[in-house]
Amino acid sequence: MKFTTIYLLLLASIGLASAADIESGKKLIAERNCAACHGADYFTSIAPTYPRLAGQHEDYLYYALRSYQVETNANYGRKNAVMGSQAKGLTDPQIRNIAAYLASLPGPLVVKK
Amino acid sequence: MNKLSATKPFSPKPLNPFMLLLGGIFFACMSLSSAAQAQDLKGSAEAGKAKVWLCTGCHSIPDYRADYPLVYHVPKIGGQNSAYIASALQAYKKGERKHPTMRAISASLSDQDMVDIGEYYAAQNSSSPMNSLK
Repeated sequence: MKFTTIYLLLLASIGLASAADIESGKKLIAERNCAACHGADYFTSIAPTYPRLAGQHEDYLYYALRSYQVETNANYGRKNAVMGSQAKGLTDPQIRNIAAYLASLPGPLVVKK
Repeated sequence: MNKLSATKPFSPKPLNPFMLLLGGIFFACMSLSSAAQAQDLKGSAEAGKAKVWLCTGCHSIPDYRADYPLVYHVPKIGGQNSAYIASALQAYKKGERKHPTMRAISASLSDQDMVDIGEYYAAQNSSSPMNSLK
């Protein structure tokens, strides 16, 4: 009985820990002023050299933000002055939340040949 | 012995901050102009059509995931900004982005190839036709 309770609690905590929070991501992305470059809809960026983010794959957005944190990693580092300083101020759960929010937005990105 | 050398014996000249600034401006202009040259290239979606054969192996497969240990969906690049695609490819080529597969592919691309590929993917939308060469 006791074991079952503990087991259920543990299972529940896994769910809680891994669920990205879209609302937190929305709040955080506004605080970080990401729209200043990527556009209020995260699609109409202010310069064509900045990517459209709305509707991108959630796990790719997570990977991309993480890669700016580990800029010299030989397999997935990315070096960029602006994105580096933005990403390094974020915790892992914060990045997951931002990625979940951006991926939830409607966007024109497509997979085609 | 003239007066100048008597009052000012030879010593290594300290770097003149003004000259340093001039040098800095010079190099900044050099790098800006090379960046501008790359941007001045005009991409063609039609030309890009024949250049994306290396991209399609990952980026045209719905739900395709790659990499280890962090596995993720490869990004959707159809409908992405053309100049962003070209600049990302440049960043892989220069090593600012480290992803080994993308580095290997971008190393084989010219500046013109990159802008053509950028235009090709930027022109895609949910109703655009599939690549007739693929």
